[in-house]
Amino acid sequence: MQKAKSKIIFFIIVFFIFHSSFSTAAQAKIYIDITSPSSKKLPIAIYDLQGPLGKEISEIIREDLTFTGLFMYIDKASYIEGPAQAFNLQNWTPLGIEAVVKGSVSGERNLTVMINLYDTLGVRPILSKQYQTEKDLLRQLAHTIANDIYQTLTGTPGIFRTRIAFVAEDDGDKGISLMDWDGERVRKLGLKGKLVLPPHWTSDGSKIIYSSERGRQWGLYLLDFSRMTEKRVFVSKGTNMAGDFFPQGDKVIFSSSKEGTPDLFILSLKDLSLKKLTATYGIEVSPSVSPDGNSIAFVSDRGGSPQIYLMRSDGSDTRRVTFEGSYNTSPSWSPKGDRIVFSCRRGKNQICMVKPDGSELVQLTEQGNNEDPSFSPDGRYITFSSDRDRTKGIYIMRANGEGQKRVSPKGLRSAGPRWSPN
Amino acid sequence: MKKFKTEAVRMKKVLSVLTLTIIAVSFVLVTGCHKKAATRPVETAPPAAKEQPGPVQQKAPEKITEQKVESVASKDMAPSAAEGKEGMFGDILFDYDKYDVRGSYKEELQSVAAWMMKNTSATISIEGHCDERGTNEYNLALGDRRAKSVKDFLISLGVPSSRMETISYGEEKPLCAEQSEDCWAKNRRAHFVMLMKAGK
Repeated sequence: MQKAKSKIIFFIIVFFIFHSSFSTAAQAKIYIDITSPSSKKLPIAIYDLQGPLGKEISEIIREDLTFTGLFMYIDKASYIEGPAQAFNLQNWTPLGIEAVVKGSVSGERNLTVMINLYDTLGVRPILSKQYQTEKDLLRQLAHTIANDIYQTLTGTPGIFRTRIAFVAEDDGDKGISLMDWDGERVRKLGLKGKLVLPPHWTSDGSKIIYSSERGRQWGLYLLDFSRMTEKRVFVSKGTNMAGDFFPQGDKVIFSSSKEGTPDLFILSLKDLSLKKLTATYGIEVSPSVSPDGNSIAFVSDRGGSPQIYLMRSDGSDTRRVTFEGSYNTSPSWSPKGDRIVFSCRRGKNQICMVKPDGSELVQLTEQGNNEDPSFSPDGRYITFSSDRDRTKGIYIMRANGEGQKRVSPKGLRSAGPRWSPN
Repeated sequence: MKKFKTEAVRMKKVLSVLTLTIIAVSFVLVTGCHKKAATRPVETAPPAAKEQPGPVQQKAPEKITEQKVESVASKDMAPSAAEGKEGMFGDILFDYDKYDVRGSYKEELQSVAAWMMKNTSATISIEGHCDERGTNEYNLALGDRRAKSVKDFLISLGVPSSRMETISYGEEKPLCAEQSEDCWAKNRRAHFVMLMKAGK
């Protein structure tokens, strides 16, 4: 009896060991756990791709990966292996390098790129892929490669092809412009007004909404990127300020003083009907819709000073989020809905971040005046405007405040950045 | 007898533990397999480790494209914007971050109201402005509220609401560009503009 029992137990144990080893072998390896704040940087070697424009492409890939703070780029001067030589583990393990990018470019106007990414655990590449594009799309090509490398090593999508929409000065007026997230390829959209407020994206990135003052009237304007058309969706006396889309893109919340004082309204883009959400004597402004569409973060001075409040999207259940400081404005949600980033006055205006329940408040900036923060779609970075280098410009940083740098061109007066969702 | 009974109970226990374990194991197996299918990398690593790209490639190359972003000119520009005449009345200044009208402006506003009552065809726009220290959107709301406070004051003195418009420019149109308390104080203002229809 006893014998039979132990036999069965032995069998189960053996089975377990076999099963668990089998399953780890078959799962994709994650090289960097991006959810762990203390994880060390992954040392990576990135060759200049062989062939024309190879150097330029590699430089963009290096800048992309380095900005994430997750990689340590090891300078190409220290590589033992020639770029054309076969990948050999022995050339890398002594240097402590854990990932190696090699590749080549061919073609002049139409480029074909071959990329191989190796880890230093085996000889086979963990990513091997070919790309084709026109020479004009060189930066997009390099960003796409960086996205693939990032995805392979971290298991999550990269943001290297996202853009930032912002307000720039344009011949005395203000206008909406777009640039790549790294500040390259700034293009004016031709949308102008005497005054223009920060644009806001739909969750699919197909439209933006913004407010503009034209002829003594503040209107809400919608730009549809698929048709490249602008349409005015709301105008009235008083000050009208967008605002934010709901996740489906069919409704917009905005602040309007059309009935007297600035209150929050929801506008349906289907039938242009209005629903009033707040009614106070004071100021209600800068509404931001949570990613699940259920909550609104906004600014109100009902407590005597501007502070961040939360309510349900039907206007019920209002509660205050910020208590520290006498001036907290411009809230914006993280993509997961677990943080709100905003402008906090600490002498000058700084960027602060807090959990929606009001806990874990942190200040992320220290220099100059900083305004209008918004998250990247993966929640790892924040863009904001700052006057720390005199001329107001667009900056980016990692969500913990590291790696702050201006991305908008020097001398271009710009503000109100919004990171595209894709 | 007693011994036999305890043995039986133990046996029963062992059996139930066993069944539980087997259920747990099969559950892990099933879900484990599912996960594997979901997380399996999409890229198929090619067999060649050598630096000769080309023939061993299994997948078609990815084509990098981008949707063209053209410029759109704003069509809905100013409808015939009303021309404004400025300088008839002085500015009403406000305290930092405040929008209540100071008591000291009572006389000034009384003279504005008196003029409005006499010139019954006149309409005015009251512009709200702020100093640069606040954040943009909140400043626009604050400017809006300042203009409204002045309008409400004039309504209380008998001026019809329909002859007064308000608009906010926030911190966008400063009177004074220096970074000093003197300058900021001048910028925190409600400003009067007499409106005349264009062409008249």
